[in-house]
Parts: sequence; C-alpha cells; structure tokens
Amino acid sequence: MKRERGGKKIIKVKTPIDEAEFRRLKIGDQIEIEGSIYCGRDAVLPQLVKLIESQNLDQMKLNLKGAVIFHTAVSPAGIGPTTSNKVEIEGSIPALSEAGVKIHLGKGALSQKTIDELKRHNSVFAVTPPVTALFSDKIVSQRVAAFKKEGMEALYEVKVKGFPAIIAIAHGKSIFVTSKKR
Amino acid sequence: MLTQKRIESAVKDCLIRAGTTFRKDQKVAYRDAIRKEKDANARWVLEKIMENARIAEEKTFPLCDDTGIPHVVIEVGDEAVLPGGWLSAINSGIVQGLRLMPGRPMAVKGGPVERVEQSEGLFNDPGKVLPAPVIVKSVKGSKVSITVLLLGGGPEIRAKTYRVFHKRSIETVLNEAASWAASEMKNLGCTPCVLAVGIGRTHMEASSLMLEAMKEGSLTRQNKWEKKVTGLVNATSVGPLGLGGRTTALGTFLKIGPLRASGVRIVSVRPCCCFEPRRATVVLSND
Repeated sequence: MKRERGGKKIIKVKTPIDEAEFRRLKIGDQIEIEGSIYCGRDAVLPQLVKLIESQNLDQMKLNLKGAVIFHTAVSPAGIGPTTSNKVEIEGSIPALSEAGVKIHLGKGALSQKTIDELKRHNSVFAVTPPVTALFSDKIVSQRVAAFKKEGMEALYEVKVKGFPAIIAIAHGKSIFVTSKKR
Repeated sequence: MLTQKRIESAVKDCLIRAGTTFRKDQKVAYRDAIRKEKDANARWVLEKIMENARIAEEKTFPLCDDTGIPHVVIEVGDEAVLPGGWLSAINSGIVQGLRLMPGRPMAVKGGPVERVEQSEGLFNDPGKVLPAPVIVKSVKGSKVSITVLLLGGGPEIRAKTYRVFHKRSIETVLNEAASWAASEMKNLGCTPCVLAVGIGRTHMEASSLMLEAMKEGSLTRQNKWEKKVTGLVNATSVGPLGLGGRTTALGTFLKIGPLRASGVRIVSVRPCCCFEPRRATVVLSND
C-alpha cells in the first residue's frame, strides 16, 4: 500500500480479484489495478451479455471470474472511460456481475437499480478520469479478445500496471449520493 | 508567400496541438482549483488531469482517447490574398493531423441508414473523421487566422439548444442556461467542465455562437455574467468526476450575438469536458 502525495492510501488490486481482496473495497478507496483487464463498451457489452444468457460464453475463452471490465474503446488514440450510464453499458452490468466481473470501471453516476444489482451480485463500480496520456504510460500490452469485427469497439484484453481509479459504488452505497449530501 | 502546402502543414500542426496540449489559462485554472480543493478524492482527480496534461504535452499523446470531431473557424483578413484551393488545403491539413496525432478512427461506414445504425462498421483511418461545416468570418487586415477545435462526444450528449423567454432580463436567460447545465453535471462524468454558452436568433446561430465562445474564451479572464453561471453550477457540488468537492465548473465562456425583437432568445449550452475547449490557432500571412 502506498500513499498518494498529501492524500489517501492507495490500495493495490491485482486481477483476477479474489473474494477476500474484493470484500475490503469500499466507496472512496483510491486503487491501482495491476494485471489484465477487459475493455469494451456500447457495441460489445450487450453481445457479451447475450453469450452469457445463451450459455455460450465458454466458446470465447474469456475468464470473467474476478475480472475488471473497463468501459472504453481501444484505438491508436489510446483508452479512456466512456459514460457508463449509457443504456447498452449500464444495462450489461447485472449480467456481467453475475458472471463474475468484480469491478466495472467507467465514469458517471449509475441508477439506484444498478447500485442494488451490484450489491446483489457482489460487484463494484469504479471511476477514473479520462486521462488517456497517463493511461498510455500504464499499458504493458493489448490484444483483441473477442468480436474483432467491431474494430476499436471490439473486446480487448489489456495488461496494465498502476492503473488509477476510485471505488464509486460498493455494497449498496454510492459516492455520487454521499457527495450530493455533503 | 501563402501556399496550399504551407496552409496544409500549419493546420496539421494546429490540430495536433489542440488535441495534445493544455493552454496556459487551463493550467492556471487547474493549479488554482487544486490549491483550493479540500476534498481528497476531488483533488486526486484534478491532479491526475494535470499529470495527464504533462505527459500528453511531453510525448505528444492525445489528452483524451475521444479525440473529437474537428471544427474549424477561419477569420480571413479583408486584404488577405489566398491561393486557389485554400479550403481544400485546410481540409487536407485536418486529415493529416488526425492521422499523425493519431485521432480515434471513429468514422462510421455506409449509406445514411447504415451510418445511423452503425451496421457496416468503422473506418480504420482516423482521417475519415470529417470536420463539421467550416465557419468563415471576415476581419480587418491581411492575415488569415485558423482555429481548430476538437469536440468530444460526452458533452454532445449533455448539450442543449432551446428557447428561453427572457422577460427582458439577462439574469432570467443565464439562470435558465445554468439550470440546464447543472441538471446534466451528475451524468457528464468528465467534470470539471467549462460551460460554453451562445445566445442568438436561431438554433444554428446560437450553436455557432456557442462554438465561437469555445474559440475565444479564457479561464483567466471571466466577466461577471460568466462568473455568475459558473457559481450556479459549482453550487451543485457535483465536483470532479462527480465525486463531490468545490470544482464542478472551471469557468464559463459566453458569446451573445445579434438579437431579434422578440420575447424569446435561442440559447445553446455545451458543458465542455475537463480537457475542453481543446483548441489551437494558427495565424498565417503572406510575409
């Protein structure tokens, strides 16, 4: 654990995330992710949900247990969070959580329904600023994991080190609600 | 001598600068916000944005992966002499800049319906992202000023152009504009924002004035009306990335155009994201 200059402790999170590590995450925690994360957004997440629902996920050789899914495209311009409350993205969160995804990473507030679904399926939502240049410095490697035809909106597996984020929704609590009350 | 080649090269460099560097007024505004921010998470976000700007400038990386849709504003001096094909040279400079920066390859393939439905996929070439219709204005002198702005998708979801019954009060109009923006802050995600506001006679004109506000505004030079709108949005306490804190908006850029005899003003409000307005200007002359 390291301390951000003049601020909070930074919690290191390695993927795949185990249950014990997951349980200690709470809203407001500043984390740094290390390991492989999946990257996908509007075009690909509903397709992933369809595969889960039709029990065809095994064909894709994806490991969603303990996974992080970052709501982003992957292009030569880099990566950065898209708005997670878009219908196709937020709508995919319950099924992906049930399939084992532990951290959904993006930006923007989510609905109470999604807060409840995250709690029900033991998953959290984290946010990160769209700091693409900084992210480019944190990427070790990347490959298309599925849905190649979607181009920059395909599902990518990206290996990262020291990838910064803040836990925004966890265990039925949302930082967006508490910050509004402050 | 102003040539097509010189225009093309200058526009290419201008686009890359717009997409990869913070202006001085942005750096000053962020440093000030970091100094005043008491919320640890909000300060963390602001610091990451500044760190991002430093890396982007050092390595010529895009500030954001949504490299935006190019918008070009050209001011042509009355005495300027332009070579044939000057507008094509500007468009060519945009294509080259997008390929070199690189821009995000997000142009949608197909005919009108396929483009709407995004059913034929995307072009791999970032240069296929066509600029929005160019704005050309006449100014005094012999120089040509070209400004490239890069407009990201998030703010477009939250922007609004609509009518306001002004009741002969600018406060009524700006309060309404601020309330539109304030209601969208929670979902914008990319706060702190800069509010661009255009007030005009038609929807097209108000949007165009909003773009001009993005082109001209400075975060270190804010008039009392701009400060008022900023204050109203900051009162939401949405904060950076929606995490709370005092900095929801860094400032407001307001541009008011000619207006008509009417009880209505057309107002365009765009909550620009934390890197915007991403803009750069190049001034060319025959010297």
